Amino acid sequence: MISFELTEEQQLAQSMVRDLAAALRPAARQGDDREATPASVLDALWSAGIVQNQAAADGSNSSPILNALMLEELAAGDPSFAMAAGATMGFVSAIAAHGSPRQKNTLLPEFAGDKFRCAAVAIMEPDFAFDVAAIRTTAAPAGDGYRLSGVKSFVPLAARCDHFLVLARCDERLDAFIVDRGARGVDISEKKPGLGLRALETAAVSFDRVELGPGSRLGEPAGCDAQRLIDSSRAALAAIMTGAGRAVMEFAIPYVKQRVVHGAPLAQKQVIAFRLADMRIETDAMRWMAWKAASILEKRGDASRQAQLAYTYAGEQAMWIADEGVQMLGGHGYLRDNPVEMWYRDIRTLSVLEGAAGL
Amino acid sequence: MIDFELTSKDQEIIRLAHEQAEIARRYGDYYDKHEDELPPDQFPEAEGRPNPIVLAEETGDGSSGPRILHSLVMHEIYGGGLALHRARWGLGNTVLQTVATPDQFEKWKNHTIAIAITEPGAGSDPADIRTTATFDRETGEWILNGEKIFISQAQSADAAMVFSRFIAPDGSRGMTTFLVEKGTAGFTVGPQLKKLGIRSHDTCNLLFEDCRIPEFNHIKGDFKSTMSVFNDSRPMVGAMALGVARAALDFTRQKLAERGIEIDYRGGMRSRCAIADRFLRLEAAYEAALLTVMRSKWLEQRDVAPKVEASIAKAAGGKAARRITQGCIELLGPEALSEDHRLERCFRDGRIFDIYEGAGEIQRLIIARAILDYTARELR
Repeated sequence: MISFELTEEQQLAQSMVRDLAAALRPAARQGDDREATPASVLDALWSAGIVQNQAAADGSNSSPILNALMLEELAAGDPSFAMAAGATMGFVSAIAAHGSPRQKNTLLPEFAGDKFRCAAVAIMEPDFAFDVAAIRTTAAPAGDGYRLSGVKSFVPLAARCDHFLVLARCDERLDAFIVDRGARGVDISEKKPGLGLRALETAAVSFDRVELGPGSRLGEPAGCDAQRLIDSSRAALAAIMTGAGRAVMEFAIPYVKQRVVHGAPLAQKQVIAFRLADMRIETDAMRWMAWKAASILEKRGDASRQAQLAYTYAGEQAMWIADEGVQMLGGHGYLRDNPVEMWYRDIRTLSVLEGAAGL
Repeated sequence: MIDFELTSKDQEIIRLAHEQAEIARRYGDYYDKHEDELPPDQFPEAEGRPNPIVLAEETGDGSSGPRILHSLVMHEIYGGGLALHRARWGLGNTVLQTVATPDQFEKWKNHTIAIAITEPGAGSDPADIRTTATFDRETGEWILNGEKIFISQAQSADAAMVFSRFIAPDGSRGMTTFLVEKGTAGFTVGPQLKKLGIRSHDTCNLLFEDCRIPEFNHIKGDFKSTMSVFNDSRPMVGAMALGVARAALDFTRQKLAERGIEIDYRGGMRSRCAIADRFLRLEAAYEAALLTVMRSKWLEQRDVAPKVEASIAKAAGGKAARRITQGCIELLGPEALSEDHRLERCFRDGRIFDIYEGAGEIQRLIIARAILDYTARELR
């Protein structure tokens, strides 16, 4: 039955995270400049219970819809910080949704405590024109386990992660493998700041013939539906891009009302006002698309189509919003005094990622 | 609880509407070529088939609700381009329902009432209308003079709800509505307008020349109540626009598949061909806009009069229909231009929705005023 009704619990979580995101916003520029997420931000994200919520040992608390709501709010504060939460969220929800009872019992409690913990899903690889349909990392059957070889790129908070969930080809299909950071052959590179999401401390992680036990395959012994991890990530990115687009729009509105050009506020000129109207139209549309994908995931249906559409649409529209946001602020939009140039870089980054966050 | 799944009841009614739209499609082609002929009240195939609009409006438990379902039925009907059952309801009926006295309502409740607002010099800005009614003290009648253009249901309706200026006997002036019945002396309906598309859609100009109207026909809708009928109809127009867009997408998907281009949603952008990628983006635009329609209709069902969301749905639907119908022809190439196929008409029909019932620009004005907290005077 078609409904946009939030439950009371969802509304509470949404407003709590909205306040948190507003409180974290002032740290965003510092994160970008210093190429690191401040420890205080990680602690604040953790103490809000965003990740622990879904780490009940049977995985039953995991809710893609709730996660989508929270990620949008966080991203409306700062997209990097949303990704910092979304990365571990992706790992935890993958274990909750696909893990064997043993995997859930051993891993999920690690994320239920008071102390910040971090783990990431590793899907992307350092190839130009990379595509999830052509993943090169392999997990070859070896002994009673697997031998993992390959390089993953853009792994969020890599140096802080205790575990990676690595997407690899195994017997001609895609599967996910739980790899401890300390396993022999795992090498985490220096963090590599790029165009955007610079606070996210992303790095490449290479796996040089890493020997994995039979229990490392997610959803042992049968394996998992790896496409679902990709779908979940696309839905998460759509929610984050919705929040990021909103951040730009909400920042631009007071600016254009206050800025007078040729005798009138910029906002009173239709060319500006109409673009803002389009920003509002598109952030609404992006949000419902992300919600729809999340709700299919929540019902454990086939979300591939909806997640792809939500992700592609959000990528298109959020980039447009960020671009116009910079333009509306003119020279000020180009200065690092304002966050819009940062979001412009962040959004270009978000819209080409796969797997770096999840619901 | 957030949910986007149609119930079995929803699906049943939508399936029925879809089936009728497919039957109506060939009539749509006929009336596309015979625009001076009005489609009948109902087509032979309507016999024994319930009107899905009525079913949608009457639906209760077990469905997504009457407003949502009605819009989804219109979405299906516009996929075929014509309804098997002609609408008995015009926007003038909405004005009658919301502002008429009980006596007035009783008299005209079974009439089909068109709404007449737009004039040669006043479309997007209805405050600029020139049609004027003056009061004749001797007879107690109003005398209406003016011209209305682009009026939907002009020929088929029983009456028109005319938005007009008035000069009262005490000299006061304002905006109001009069119900003018067909056959009233001084009221003439012009010929069918020659349009790019939606040629089966009854559209004419109306002329009022010293047209005398009894005081009883003064319905007294003001500017605000008259314009508020669009809160309901705007998202509906979005749904209709997307019905045409969906018909174009379905056809294009099928023809691409026949040429070996299947749309894969699993891989990433760099694993698909450019045609598939472009199709997928058009499909995403369709989905996104349809959800804004659902949002607006859902709010309506909760008795929240959604002004901004209604405009969002109309603007999103109108824009998506333009982009999608243009894009589908480009994807399929020259063969898609032929009148033998569906896209040619979709392209022409699909262009209206961002124009009528408030052009996309008007929707953006409404949205922008709301998000900027500006009055109509501050943002024009």
